[in-house]
Amino acid sequence: MSIIQVEGLKYKYPDTDQLALDDISFEVKQGEFIGLIGRNTAGKSTLCFALSGLVPHFFNGGYGGKVFVNGLEVRQHEVGDIAAHVGLVFENPFSQMTASKYTVFEEIAFGLENMGVERNEMITRMDESLDLLDITSIKDKHPFDLSGGQMQRVAIASVIAMKPKILILDEPTSQLDPQGSEEVFKVVENLTKEGITIIMAEHKIDKLAEYADKVALIDHGKLIDFDTPAKVFSRDDLPDYGITAPTATRIGKALGIKDSKTDLFPVTIKAISREIGDKL
Amino acid sequence: MSKKSMWTLKLSTAAIALIPAAIGINYLGKLFAGLLKLPLWLDSIGTVLASMLAGPIIGALSGIINNVIFGLTVDPISTVYAITSGAIGLVVGVMAYKGWLKSIKTAIVIGLVVGLVAAVVSTPLNIIFWGGQTGNVWGDAFYAFLVSNNFPVWLASFGDSIVVDVPDKVATVIVSYLIFRGLPKNFISIFRGSDKIEEL
Amino acid sequence: MSTMTLYVDKKSFIHHVAPLTKLLYVMVSIAITYIIPKLEFVLFVTLTSLLILAIGKVFRKILPILALSILLIISIIIVQGFFHPENQTVLYSIGFITFYKEGLTFAALLTLRVLNMIMSFGILILTTKHDELVEDLIKKGMSPKIGYVLLSVLQLIPQMRATMGKITDAQRSRGMETEGNLLVRVKAFFPLIVPVVLNSLHNTRERAIALEVRGFNTKMKKTFLNLSKEYQYTKTIQSILWAILIVTIAWRILS
Ligand SMILES: Nc1ncnc2c1ncn2[C@@H]1O[C@H](COP(=O)(O)OP(=O)(O)O)[C@@H](O)[C@H]1O
Ligand SMILES: [Mg+2]
Repeated sequence: MSIIQVEGLKYKYPDTDQLALDDISFEVKQGEFIGLIGRNTAGKSTLCFALSGLVPHFFNGGYGGKVFVNGLEVRQHEVGDIAAHVGLVFENPFSQMTASKYTVFEEIAFGLENMGVERNEMITRMDESLDLLDITSIKDKHPFDLSGGQMQRVAIASVIAMKPKILILDEPTSQLDPQGSEEVFKVVENLTKEGITIIMAEHKIDKLAEYADKVALIDHGKLIDFDTPAKVFSRDDLPDYGITAPTATRIGKALGIKDSKTDLFPVTIKAISREIGDKL
Repeated sequence: MSKKSMWTLKLSTAAIALIPAAIGINYLGKLFAGLLKLPLWLDSIGTVLASMLAGPIIGALSGIINNVIFGLTVDPISTVYAITSGAIGLVVGVMAYKGWLKSIKTAIVIGLVVGLVAAVVSTPLNIIFWGGQTGNVWGDAFYAFLVSNNFPVWLASFGDSIVVDVPDKVATVIVSYLIFRGLPKNFISIFRGSDKIEEL
Repeated sequence: MSTMTLYVDKKSFIHHVAPLTKLLYVMVSIAITYIIPKLEFVLFVTLTSLLILAIGKVFRKILPILALSILLIISIIIVQGFFHPENQTVLYSIGFITFYKEGLTFAALLTLRVLNMIMSFGILILTTKHDELVEDLIKKGMSPKIGYVLLSVLQLIPQMRATMGKITDAQRSRGMETEGNLLVRVKAFFPLIVPVVLNSLHNTRERAIALEVRGFNTKMKKTFLNLSKEYQYTKTIQSILWAILIVTIAWRILS
């Protein structure tokens, strides 16, 4: 069974006329990594909100269609209940800190305290998340004293500690410097090994190509394509949607090198090196 | 303003998170007024904005918590006026809901009412706690003048508060209204509390 | 990281008294100075608060807080000393200025009450960590949401104050005038406050989202990471404070 099921989803923000999400349908299987691409204002964030219940419960507005996450129909449950199944991390690391705790350790406990997790279980889970996000060494620091990359990892740890089946990352590196981005990508790679289902909106296409099992291309609130990275990135009309194909795909196209198994252009440097290696 | 009742008690998370922001804006308003040497405090712009955005309950809470926090961190005396600040938030929220947020003129009316209410609420506090004064030089000079001319203490104290409060509150509401009017629309909707979700 | 706090980290008996007990002390000691309007009694209560501050090793820290109210106190002494409606008995005159006994006695009573109010508050805020006070209040039934608001204000204000410097510099470099006649200065107020408002509303929306996805709005019963501290003599001190309050009320009614 699919862990995410979206059927004919439509959404309109309050006091606006245009649909921010326009008849979107797709399914995601447990453990898949989905890359979400599209130009600014395409509707990526809105879709992320719709998967975590903020659309419609937090933003209100107009809503149609159905979204199921881990068997729950989003429309029928509050965000707080959905939070146990779906975690959300977004761009700005600063505003994701609750601003009410004095250490990273306490910050991560915030969600678990709200969910009424028993104290011993809480500490076990927190230690696991600290470890997974590689932030054990800063656990006694004040959240506001951290670098952007560290803060963003604390934000991810805070959500991971709540043990969601689905993790949504909405451009988690777009406000970080190169080093911070690298830190975040590294932990994302760790997370992919944990069997958690990940949806990630990201402009750094090369990175996305490395991790994604499938890519969703969105424009003007519509789902233009939802397929393997190789298929989506081979499209000739990507520039029309404000997307530049991954470096490997562009090199492949320029040199006429295709992946021998799929007969599509390669999307990662690794794949293209292999093809070139085979040719030599 | 909200299509639902303004007294709705199920406060949204956005409305709750607005309170610390309102208190921060109060604080910076006061600092900027001091920096520019303006003859006013302008230290309740955040409370007034919160009332305009999220209604009387959030407005009142912003006012009360504002003074409690300053009591706990800067000046214990300010705790006494938590009730006044709460009343300010309440009045602005109710009047905004009743349609008094239309123009500068109606905003001035709100400011006058707020100043008056603030004085009415502060007067008994000033009398109980410090015999009728406010600690403001101009207001207290006026108080001394009235008392020495045989006005009763409560009236002199009320006069003291009026002199202190009305000009400041009128200015505060005008400034807040001008800011409020310029806010992008999509900033406002989440604070209104739960509107109905429209079926598409 | 700067948090707004006046807490002084020392080891003293008072630091080990439960936050809520100290809060009760604040309320009782302020209340009784108004219930019994006798100069000697109020003086006694004020001295008690002073003594407790000294035991808590924070006496010197109260002085700057007292200084904030100096204007109010001077105003009380002058205005009541000269103008108190019941003034009759001339105490002494300097030139044309005359102080009256009734006015000065009343001024002394008011001043002591103000001093006690500030000092008893001082006991609470100088020897108690905010998060402990707030967590104890939540455990006693205060809404966790209000608790959140209290704690986050203390952290966000220093953050906002830091942005204030940036905004002022940016606007000055764009040629904004902060000196000059009143109109010029009033006009300068808007380019300063508007970015603050926009920025904080933007952050508010994002922070609200972060809180929502971390279960801020669930109806489940909250648990706590931090264990309740063991405090000294909580029951005893609180009973004594309640007893004092009841006795003063009885005294007031009976006499
Ligand atoms: N709170 C809001 N209120 C009204 N319109 C919004 C709001 N947030 C986003 N939008 C609009 O919805 C559309 C999709 O935006 P968004 O999902 O943020 O795009 P992306 O994340 O792909 O950049 C845009 O046209 C944007 O202007
Ligand atoms: Mg976005």
